[in-house]
Amino acid sequence: MTAFLAAIGYERWILQVLLAVPLIGVALVIISPTRWARVTALVVALFEFVVSLGILWTFDPSKPGLQFVTKVDWLPQFGVSYYVGLDGLTIFMVLLSTALMPLLVWGSWNQIDFKQRGFYALLLALKTGMLGVFVAMDLFLFYCFWELLLIPMFFIIGIWGSGNRRYASEKFFIYTFSGSLLMLVAIVAMVWLVGQQTGTYSFAYDHILAHAALLRPQAPWLFAAFALAFAVKVPVFPFHTWLPDAHGEAPTAGSVDLAVILLKMGTYGFLRFAIPFFPAFALSRGVTAVVVTLAVTGIIYGALVAMVQPDLKRVVAYSSVSHLGFVILGIWAATVQSVQGAIMVMIAHGLSTGALFFLVGMLYERRHTRLIADFGGVARVAPLLATAFAITAFASIGLPGLNGFVGEFLVLLGSFGRFPIPTLIATTVVVFAAAYLLWAVQRVFFNPLANPENEKIRDLGPRELAVVIPLVGAMIWMGLYPQPLLRRTESAARHYVELVQPYIDHTRPAPPAGPVAEAAR
Amino acid sequence: MNQLNLLSPIGVTVALLPEVLLSAWILVVLLVISWRHERVEDSYLAGWLSLGGVGLAGIGVAVLWLGGAAPAGVPHMVALDGFRYGADAVILLMAAGTILLSLRYVDRQRLLAPEYHLLILLATDGMLFLAGAEDMIVLFLGLELMSVSVYVLAGFDRFRRSSAEAGLKYFLIGAFASAFLLYGIALIYGATGETNLVRIGERLASAPLSLLAGLGLGLLLIGFGFKVAAVPFHMWAPDVYDGAPTPIAGFMATGVKTAAFAALVRVLLESFPTATVVWQPVIAALALATIVLGNTVALAQQSLKRMLAYSSIAHAGYVLVAVWAGTTLGAGAVCFYLFAYSVTTLASFGILASIEHVGSRTVLVDDLEGLYSVRPGAALALSICLLSLLGFPGTLGFIGKWYLIAAAVSEGQYILPVVMVLGTLVSAGYYLPVIMAMTMKPTRSLESHRQVRFSWAARAAVAVAVAMILVFGVWPTGPLSTALKSAETLGRGTPAVLTGKR
Repeated sequence: MTAFLAAIGYERWILQVLLAVPLIGVALVIISPTRWARVTALVVALFEFVVSLGILWTFDPSKPGLQFVTKVDWLPQFGVSYYVGLDGLTIFMVLLSTALMPLLVWGSWNQIDFKQRGFYALLLALKTGMLGVFVAMDLFLFYCFWELLLIPMFFIIGIWGSGNRRYASEKFFIYTFSGSLLMLVAIVAMVWLVGQQTGTYSFAYDHILAHAALLRPQAPWLFAAFALAFAVKVPVFPFHTWLPDAHGEAPTAGSVDLAVILLKMGTYGFLRFAIPFFPAFALSRGVTAVVVTLAVTGIIYGALVAMVQPDLKRVVAYSSVSHLGFVILGIWAATVQSVQGAIMVMIAHGLSTGALFFLVGMLYERRHTRLIADFGGVARVAPLLATAFAITAFASIGLPGLNGFVGEFLVLLGSFGRFPIPTLIATTVVVFAAAYLLWAVQRVFFNPLANPENEKIRDLGPRELAVVIPLVGAMIWMGLYPQPLLRRTESAARHYVELVQPYIDHTRPAPPAGPVAEAAR
Repeated sequence: MNQLNLLSPIGVTVALLPEVLLSAWILVVLLVISWRHERVEDSYLAGWLSLGGVGLAGIGVAVLWLGGAAPAGVPHMVALDGFRYGADAVILLMAAGTILLSLRYVDRQRLLAPEYHLLILLATDGMLFLAGAEDMIVLFLGLELMSVSVYVLAGFDRFRRSSAEAGLKYFLIGAFASAFLLYGIALIYGATGETNLVRIGERLASAPLSLLAGLGLGLLLIGFGFKVAAVPFHMWAPDVYDGAPTPIAGFMATGVKTAAFAALVRVLLESFPTATVVWQPVIAALALATIVLGNTVALAQQSLKRMLAYSSIAHAGYVLVAVWAGTTLGAGAVCFYLFAYSVTTLASFGILASIEHVGSRTVLVDDLEGLYSVRPGAALALSICLLSLLGFPGTLGFIGKWYLIAAAVSEGQYILPVVMVLGTLVSAGYYLPVIMAMTMKPTRSLESHRQVRFSWAARAAVAVAVAMILVFGVWPTGPLSTALKSAETLGRGTPAVLTGKR
């Protein structure tokens, strides 16, 4: 297989193909008749997924640097190039988003019943944006992709969403836009400052990284601009308020894409840009204290708020706030274990939260409500649905043997040495996670079947099983045998830690979580 | 490089080729319409003839540009550099677009009179003079030719009160602004004894700015401030845009602004390059006020046209950020942004013109509800235009905005770019609801939007503009290098990005 892929020059064209195929798909979907739109989208999605699989073989886990690199001039006068590549940080985010594509189309099959062509076209366009964010190694290109995927998401939420969709889509747009605009100024300023001192004006990632030390005097401002953009996207408490609305109102495919990929773009941004560019400032005592406090607050706050949500979709949405707090904690702890754990949580959260949103969407299709109170005893009429939901919930809680456990355990293990008290607090929160999800599962699936409406709920059909089984399978596989993932992400994590390690402020053990976290406890 | 002796009659004629061709053509059109001005077709005829005139002027610009005409010695009366040609190209593009958008509009809105198109040509001629002026007197003549024609155009819909009000308002305020400008020119002449921009610069370079010249500069800035509608000299703009025929409002927001900005940049960079200490704070204050006020007031607008008017004020503020830089890079950014902004704005006004009802003309944002399901093309085009105005990647507006930021940042300025992006953020608050109304809300009734019709000329103009927005948004290399090169002869310092190794 490896030899075959090398023979066809897979490494040279794969990223370009992955970026271009969804765009070609957009054109195909638009010109195809409405009835065939979803079929066209599915074919494109499956093709994209199959093509992307070759990455697993051709990716060399032992190399810490970029692979699959392509660099072509785009605006040479301004030092902008089309520069893409892949490393251990992003390989699974790319694979996750290509693997998700067919599932998204399949999951929306009957749910989207008007303006189908537009929907599938936007879904495909969104995919190019997402992949672009992860593979772009030129800051200008990165910014373009970063912003570009706002538009499809804005329309997906605003047109095909439920109830309060226009409010949610506008809120989503303005929140994320506000963060990224300042990042634009920061990017231009960085390139200019580096250019003035080195004589080379280039937006290339490695160029800026190599001369990041020159940015020392401006680091606080530049870091703040980057951090704001990423923190809104993650979302780090208290920038999370767009998330429940966007998640809650988006159609299933939108929620899944948001949860699986979009949120990870924020954490990826921290890992790739914000911290490596400005390690001394980002990992200084003050900033670390603030970030860790916010992360732990987010972990606790997300869990507590999730517990009292009447809407099942919002329960899952708030659980994301909680989970991504772990990622932030792991990133700032900057040990190989914690960073690898953070990457694993990113993948695991993608699988389990994505599956939860799919399942909630399926429940909604049947009953046209997402209120927990409207359900009860669903397990009796839909055992498969209940089983899938329960497994996914366990995975999300972090039960050993399922995917959630690996990442969270590694994060806690790796962070404990650096931040003992925050880590301890975060560990206890796993209990809350069990509480809110299991309680929701109990009320939806196991209480008495009081509402006669619920008796008519169908169990999962073959199409829905085709969506759920791969996800549940991946969760179990990743929980039992995470080695292939760990092996491929290790060198990237190690590289990151080596990069930032010298800048960690060791003058005293990291400060306690601070008053906010204490109060929340 | 073909050197032209600007002191000889032939040299000046060649240097003024676009203006001369256009002026001659204007006489021809005038002659034609004095015989034929009765029927509907005559108006169309005048329109097509005028379009030919714009094309003729375009050929003139191309000849000079490609011929690499350069002045022998200090340019006299008229500039011969890329910056002029760049501005000329934008102006002519806008004139052609306005004529295409107007052809059917004047018929539908019963504004029939062939003089309409003639006045557009006259205004264009004035703009070309203004953008190419190398002498204060030429500058003033160009400004007046442009302004007087546009005063009439603004009040062209003579049966409507708001249009008459627009014409009168624009005339009074415009005359006021011209007076400021003229007084400024007089004071500068008093201080230096020169009217040539470069020679003024040479005279002023030796000593710090005298009070007289400083006052003159201040009055000039006020005059230009009125013309580009910078806060606090913007009060006329929303009312005038609202009352003027819609394509003319678009022309005013693009062509007039482009010409005035081109002249402003030239005056500042050629006559006052050593006085940055004096004018930079003024420009910065104007930019700040314009961005903040333009964007916040636009938020409150219900009428789409008034919203576009305030948004065009805000965009003038963005351009001022690059004017502030006062460098070659800044001049290039001004040139490029004017191109990006003009193409987008004219297309927006063009779409608006086709959406308007006959008679009651105010289009509220709510009136657009569900436009996408009835007229998807129009809704899509307007969405793309608004996203470009918002400065979204993949559109021309983004490249323009990024260029502006680069120009300011390269001079160590961070506050203005940050204010600019914050202003952009606010602008999302009024651009997005339009897009949302068109795409996310259902139509009010089955009859909605049936009146929205594009003549094929308007369709072609909008389609070309949207194509430019998208194609140059992704592949801006051509216009970017043109803009950069066009500004080479202006301003201090060569752009480091051009010389910098990669």
